[in-house]
Amino acid sequence: MLAFIIRRILSAFPLLFGISVLVFILMAVAPGDFLDVARSQEDIPAEYIERMEQEFALGEPWHTRYFIWVGNVVQGNLGESWIYRVPVTELLWQRIPATLVLSALSILFALCLAIPLGVLAAIYKDSIFDRISSMFAYAALSIPEFFLALLAVMFAAQTGLFPTGGLSSVEHEFMSFWGRLADYAHHLVLPTIVLGMGSVASYMRIMRANFLDYIRSDFVTTARAKGVPEGRIMFLHVLRNAINPLVSGSGFILATLLSGSILVENVMNYPGLGQLIFEALMRQDEFVVVAAVLMGCVMLMLGNLIADLLLAWSDPRIRLEKN
Amino acid sequence: MYAVFFALKKPLFEFLYKFAALPKLALITCLLLVLFACKGEIPPLERKDHPLPQDAEVSEAEPGIYGGFLVTAESQQPRTFNPLVAEDAYSSQAIGRFLNGLTTYHPIKEEVVPELARSWEISSDRKSITLHLRRGVLWSDGEPFTAADVIFTFKALFDERYPNRYQGQYIIAGEPIGFEKVDRHTVRFTTARAYSPFLYVIGFIGILPRHKLIDAYEQGTLLQEWSVRTAMHEPGELVGTGPFRVHSFRPGQRIIYEPNPHYWRVDSKGQRLPYVDYLITRFVQDRNTSTVLFASGQIDAADIAPGDVVGVSRNAPLHGFTVHHRGPATGIRYLWFNQKPGVNEDGRPYVEPHKLEWFTNKYFRQAILHGFNREGLIQSVYFGRAELLHSIISPANQRWHNPEVPKFPYDPGRAIELLEGQGFEFREGGQLYDKHGNPVIFDVYASEGDDITPQIMSTFRENMRDLGIRVRVRYLDFGTLVARISRHFEYEAAMMGFTGGADPSGGRAIYLSSGRLHLWNPEQEEPQTEWEAKVDELVYASEETFDLEERVDYVHRMQEIFSEQLPLLYLLTPHAYAGLKDKWQNVHIPAMGSVIWNVDELYLDREL
Amino acid sequence: MIRHLFKEIARRPLGVVCLTILGILYLCTIFSQFLAPYLPTDQDLNNAYHPPTRILMVEWRPHVQVYEQVDPSAARYEPVEGATVPVSFFSSGAQYRLWGIIPADIRLFQVEEPHRIYLLGSDGTGRDVFSRLLYGAQVSLSIGFIGICITMTLGFIVGGVAGYFGGRVDFAAMRLVEFIIAVPSLYLLIALRGALAEYFEPEQMYLVIVIILSLIGWAGAARIIRGMALSLRQRPFVLAAEVMGQSSFRILFKHFLPNLASYLLVAATLSIPAYILAEAALSFLGLGIQEPGTSWGLMLQQAQELKVFTLNLWWLLLPGAAIFITVITFNVLGDVLRDIVDPRQQMVKR
Repeated sequence: MLAFIIRRILSAFPLLFGISVLVFILMAVAPGDFLDVARSQEDIPAEYIERMEQEFALGEPWHTRYFIWVGNVVQGNLGESWIYRVPVTELLWQRIPATLVLSALSILFALCLAIPLGVLAAIYKDSIFDRISSMFAYAALSIPEFFLALLAVMFAAQTGLFPTGGLSSVEHEFMSFWGRLADYAHHLVLPTIVLGMGSVASYMRIMRANFLDYIRSDFVTTARAKGVPEGRIMFLHVLRNAINPLVSGSGFILATLLSGSILVENVMNYPGLGQLIFEALMRQDEFVVVAAVLMGCVMLMLGNLIADLLLAWSDPRIRLEKN
Repeated sequence: MYAVFFALKKPLFEFLYKFAALPKLALITCLLLVLFACKGEIPPLERKDHPLPQDAEVSEAEPGIYGGFLVTAESQQPRTFNPLVAEDAYSSQAIGRFLNGLTTYHPIKEEVVPELARSWEISSDRKSITLHLRRGVLWSDGEPFTAADVIFTFKALFDERYPNRYQGQYIIAGEPIGFEKVDRHTVRFTTARAYSPFLYVIGFIGILPRHKLIDAYEQGTLLQEWSVRTAMHEPGELVGTGPFRVHSFRPGQRIIYEPNPHYWRVDSKGQRLPYVDYLITRFVQDRNTSTVLFASGQIDAADIAPGDVVGVSRNAPLHGFTVHHRGPATGIRYLWFNQKPGVNEDGRPYVEPHKLEWFTNKYFRQAILHGFNREGLIQSVYFGRAELLHSIISPANQRWHNPEVPKFPYDPGRAIELLEGQGFEFREGGQLYDKHGNPVIFDVYASEGDDITPQIMSTFRENMRDLGIRVRVRYLDFGTLVARISRHFEYEAAMMGFTGGADPSGGRAIYLSSGRLHLWNPEQEEPQTEWEAKVDELVYASEETFDLEERVDYVHRMQEIFSEQLPLLYLLTPHAYAGLKDKWQNVHIPAMGSVIWNVDELYLDREL
Repeated sequence: MIRHLFKEIARRPLGVVCLTILGILYLCTIFSQFLAPYLPTDQDLNNAYHPPTRILMVEWRPHVQVYEQVDPSAARYEPVEGATVPVSFFSSGAQYRLWGIIPADIRLFQVEEPHRIYLLGSDGTGRDVFSRLLYGAQVSLSIGFIGICITMTLGFIVGGVAGYFGGRVDFAAMRLVEFIIAVPSLYLLIALRGALAEYFEPEQMYLVIVIILSLIGWAGAARIIRGMALSLRQRPFVLAAEVMGQSSFRILFKHFLPNLASYLLVAATLSIPAYILAEAALSFLGLGIQEPGTSWGLMLQQAQELKVFTLNLWWLLLPGAAIFITVITFNVLGDVLRDIVDPRQQMVKR
């Protein structure tokens, strides 16, 4: 088990190396560089731009910058953002909590809605409810996320029930602790729903399929024969088993926790990682982009590892070493 | 966490089954809803009574009352609070809230007025300017402001270790400006040659507090000071003389400023400005969202795009605001042809020779402008809320704009006449050929940035087709476009825009033939054409005279040359609209610049 | 096999509905040049943000209401009482080339110049939204098809080869797949697009996007196909073919392909929506199809301006609705196909 984990972690390094090289190459191939915005301003002198080119080694080929970066990373330093002149790690940390909270909430929302809906759809298979919920699932899968976000913003602006984007209101700094919490909660409602909607549909369909599998299984028939109340059978026996794939699949969820959604964050003006990374990408703020991409990869690999471990744990038939 | 979950799974399910949690959930939801309902209130600010400085400036505005908060929105957040690092307008704006320059530009009077310097004298040879600083001014942490701070700021600015954008601006005729301390409240600047925009330019840099930054300066870490993290974690460190100081900063969300308790402006009743308790700037990336926020009364001031004026105005009675018409905007938008002769590193010409021949022909350029239905664009895309641009300086800049320049309205007949006069001819299929038999085809590059650009370019393409010219439009992202036009010079035509400044000296890089942004043929060693030499002459002459009328005359003549030669085909300038809530008093909306430029004088009328 | 599939689909009402909808959509797309009254680039700067024109019956023939602009600053148009123009059907107008080859000038319907028929109103430069929607479908509906062709081919070749040969080939292929899955796709997309954009015409941009999307998308399919190929590898008919000395190439295409065909079909149907949505998302970020081209995603992006809400809401809603309907149809059809091919739902779990 431990050997398996160590091997997985070691095998991640070449991958990370490859990806960081790829990012540097892509940034070099992409036309233009970080200083282009400065170049287009009429009142920024040429001397200043030349100085900056030297400082950022932008005149050099990409591998020179790559080695500078690797040198820094070995010393535990991910470099400095060129836009903000702040260490990259600090910049990312400013945004991680917001993204983390939103992702976690939207997954929670998806699970809380998808599990009961999926169960009910399975129990009352082919009823009106089943039909409607499956139509809903198809619809939720088919709306572009950003379009939903756009509609949500318009809804908020029209009704005034919810704030129009953002994470906190202007009065936030002057609130008590509980007030701040409520303020956050109020702002999180719409983004959570928008981000969670797609997952609701897919979890619901998995849940329904699994539940149907178990309803037909032998132990349910046995339990019925023993005269166990129907509610208890469904809740204790069937649901407990049917939920397994969702729980063990939650390792994959970890991978998406920090990815942030560029589209939804942009439309809903949410101060998360996506916004920051998109800006860095557009401005070619190299070290921020590399750090963000690598962070995404590490989360993905960690997620996969945990998913494998969970799968092995919940299903003893799977052998890790063989994988 | 998973282990705990697995271990607890059975009891957990038992529990859930036995106590169906529905009523409790409902209760919690109700509680949350109650919490949502109680909106926070911003408490009024308690102001401490600090003595007024000896040289306090008395505002000419009507005295107001303290209180209230003003909310604005910006599309991007400041990237730094250090003026030596700042490159973008959003950072500069945030810095301007808490730092002052020596002078400033008054957008209503349209002239340079005193800020930290209370008065100045110009020597008889016009190369040395003595500035008298305000006495008794304190930094926001209570330390006195003196000439030492000014000297420190300029020393840091010219320090080799700290490259910054101002250095080049303060190098005049090839030499850095000289600066010396005369006494505790007097500094003297000297320039290598007489330079009339000097008083305007000297106000750009915010004066830094020596006592706060001297240690960092000596250690060589000045550029690391005053970053976004300073504003987040220790906003009190951002010490300035400006009207405000930073109260709190949340990346991606908002920045809140509170009044500087030592600010040096007062009203005629002796009350220290500013009146507002808090100034709040929200960061709203999407322009549509910020318009929606304004239209639903959630922010106090916003720029409104021409197309949105009607929609937004509908809500005006509901939320008590007015959409003010500000006249033409300062920005200019233009299209130009690459006229750079010569070859690149691989020996290929930047522009194919036969095309270069068209592009360097001013009649060809005039014909193109005559053939472009800009009037139609104004009517459709801008709903008539824009006007034709004829000069390199926008009509918003009333002092410098020359309305009497050659004009080229939509006139396809005249365009064809001009083209035929230059040997171009139409052949089968309506395609235009030059006198050597080459079909007239060119590529235009544009940035993908906003929603208006594609509409302008699509119209241009259609109009050119009517003239028998095939135009291919290619959209690049902004960086790529800039790289092409300013480094590789491999393009035929391009469209871009600039946001103009108040003084024409800001456009030097475009006007001068040696300029970096002399787009059509930049960084010439010697002026390549007669008219470019003439423009150079006029620009230098205008910078040397201190007589305003004479300066205006030079700048007017320069504009005439540009509009006759059309190195840039000026397109149009949209009208600017500003929305502002009616409850704010002392509002004077200038033709250009920020609507709330005098935010320290604004006060709240509680009746409205 | 295809015939069997059609029979099965025909037995399910949902399948029939989906096929009909898709059939109509694709027919409209193929004949968009004939159906659309205008070219997608035809401007009329005097008729910007025109509301949808009313169709009236005058003497048993459809006529178009004539409008006049009453307030240019608000783009307000009022119908002119009693002024109508007859709609002419199957009449000839401006020349076009059907599918880029056949010269033609007949259109389904049009009105006499200078009057215009705007079934769904006009956009900011007076272009017909209805025509643009039809032409936009050419991009949005074909992007998925081209995309899956590349994805499935690459996926089949890499996955099949990896599964068939095993060993080092398998190891190398799977590391490559892992690498591609690990690279965050959106960043890769944005970077690649930035790098490629300047070498292509705006009209070709759409091919660039398909290629980028499918170069990212093939990895997932390759992994699943490899797994299936691994098990096929042990099946007697493959072993027999090997013993008979058939070439590996032949085995791959003669024996593996038919056995994987049903999976490929289902996976393809279910992944077309992903391409349509990706195109919309990219265009929304300003990274997709460019003017003067048109696509549903681009229309959606252009229409999300605030002023569109007050002036011509159809312009915003219809591209959105078109994407929605197409995607939902493909999703439902994919599920129907999956039920037919794989009733126990062992293959594809989403």
